[in-house]
Amino acid sequence: MSRRFSSAIMAVAVLTTVSLGLLMPVNGQTPAKVATPAATPWTPPRTPDGQPDIQGIYARGGVGGLAVEARESNGPHGAENPLDATASNPLSVSDRPDGLRNIPKGFNVGGTPVAGPAPAEKRRLGLIDPSNKVLPWKPEEDRNRRDFLKRTNPAASLRYVEYDARCALPGLFLGNGPFEFIQPPQEVVVLSEYSHFTRVIHLDGRPHLGSNIRLFNGDSVGHWEGNTLIVDTTNFNEFTAFSREIPYLSDALHTIERLTIIDQNNMDYEVTVDDPKLFTKPWKTAGLYRKVKKGYEIMEYACAEGSLTLENIFGKPPSR
Amino acid sequence: MNTIRRSIISAAAFATILWLMEIPALAQAPAARAGAPRRMADGKPDFNGIWQALNTAAWDIQDHVGQLGVPPGQGVVEGNEIPYQAWALAKKKENFANRKTADQTEVNCFLPGVPRITYMPFPFKIAQTSKAIAFSYEFAHGLRIIQMEGNHPDPDSFPDTWMGDSRGHWEGETLVVDVRNFNDQTWFDQAGNFHSDALHVVERYTLTDPDHINYEATIEDPKVFTRPWKMSMPLYRRVEKNMELLEYECVFYLQEERYKNAPFKK
Repeated sequence: MSRRFSSAIMAVAVLTTVSLGLLMPVNGQTPAKVATPAATPWTPPRTPDGQPDIQGIYARGGVGGLAVEARESNGPHGAENPLDATASNPLSVSDRPDGLRNIPKGFNVGGTPVAGPAPAEKRRLGLIDPSNKVLPWKPEEDRNRRDFLKRTNPAASLRYVEYDARCALPGLFLGNGPFEFIQPPQEVVVLSEYSHFTRVIHLDGRPHLGSNIRLFNGDSVGHWEGNTLIVDTTNFNEFTAFSREIPYLSDALHTIERLTIIDQNNMDYEVTVDDPKLFTKPWKTAGLYRKVKKGYEIMEYACAEGSLTLENIFGKPPSR
Repeated sequence: MNTIRRSIISAAAFATILWLMEIPALAQAPAARAGAPRRMADGKPDFNGIWQALNTAAWDIQDHVGQLGVPPGQGVVEGNEIPYQAWALAKKKENFANRKTADQTEVNCFLPGVPRITYMPFPFKIAQTSKAIAFSYEFAHGLRIIQMEGNHPDPDSFPDTWMGDSRGHWEGETLVVDVRNFNDQTWFDQAGNFHSDALHVVERYTLTDPDHINYEATIEDPKVFTRPWKMSMPLYRRVEKNMELLEYECVFYLQEERYKNAPFKK
């Protein structure tokens, strides 16, 4: 009897500690409510082939633009250097040690209007693993990366031009859609307004492509576990980037994404970045997908057709 | 008695075998599946899959002889005549003479417009649900979302586009796609056939069997042609197991080539 009583007290103590941890005030604001188990979970409708139906157009935030590691000023560019993450540096992202931040009202360039209220509970955005917020670089690869960044402004050669300034396919991390999800049988198809690309996530159990096929956007296979879509992507080429601060990843990149339905308008997003050529272990970053207002239509984004970027940087190439 | 019964049973078995062989799935004959197209849950014909044109329209939509690098072909234009206005016919000939520098799709990998992107020699994917239809093209990762609701944007206030604005509806078994809001930057082929920003295309996609689409595109452009005209061609399903679109990123490849010795003296 007394053992059960003390166990109960222990359980209450643990629960309280955990709850208080989640209720840590951010920026002096009152803590948000933690969703209790009694809160009614959203049950999505189903597609004809039985998938949870997440179809619609979404804005995405919180994934790239990472600059949460140890600060270090790098030479004459000072605050313009993406690694010099101070509050005044517009390239810096979250400085907060707790990893929680307020959900921004509209976080797309141009302010894509979102549908419905933000999720009731604060979401994690940005780097969530490792918890000390220092990316697990191999030391020599971190040095290589910092040396590389010194030659990007101005770009020393074509190699040092950011991929999305070249209108390259942005891979999984660059750009922010908006994204239209459609779900034909045995697939989740993601259409991006940015760069007008299509990602096909195969749910039919097929294997990945052979290892000699390398793609900017990789090759994605996935499956549903309850209301979470899990996507495994391999076959990346060597022309991918994570953000301005991480201007390249390697062709050993392997990602695992988890997209979890919160309610009819919002989805949690987590991606594990596993690149054994650059990092000592995988790391994880989080984002949020929010449905945009009804009536929004994806527009044409003709990047190469209107771009003078390379000519402006380097001059006109000699004619053939 | 036993013998007669056995004979009858044998005859019945033989007849059954003959009858079973009429069913295509069990017959020896391979190749295209006979029968009606698959259907979506909402009853519409199912266009999901990867498709490709198998003709030479990308080089020249009219009859043309072979040359080095250009396969010969019978045209896809009905009547083989493109009804150019007099000034436009001269312009087409000028385009043809300049095609090695003036065809922005071949020279710069720019978006080919509609319907040229349909018959580029690359596969494309149709993703279809009851709510949305999208065409994704392997060439330059082209994308057309076929809006099944709403109207074309106002051309006076909305920017022109390379791939047009596509609005779809069903006419029986046929997906009809009305495309407007084009710019004047694309050609219909490498032979210099062109249009203005008044271009209006009506596409019709009809499944003739599970693996073939009959594709028609009616072209209307009062600034360039004397009347509407039409192209038509079959589209073939890519039936390979685990077929998927890959990436043909010619913009990137061209940059690697053109800027490999950058920076250049200004």
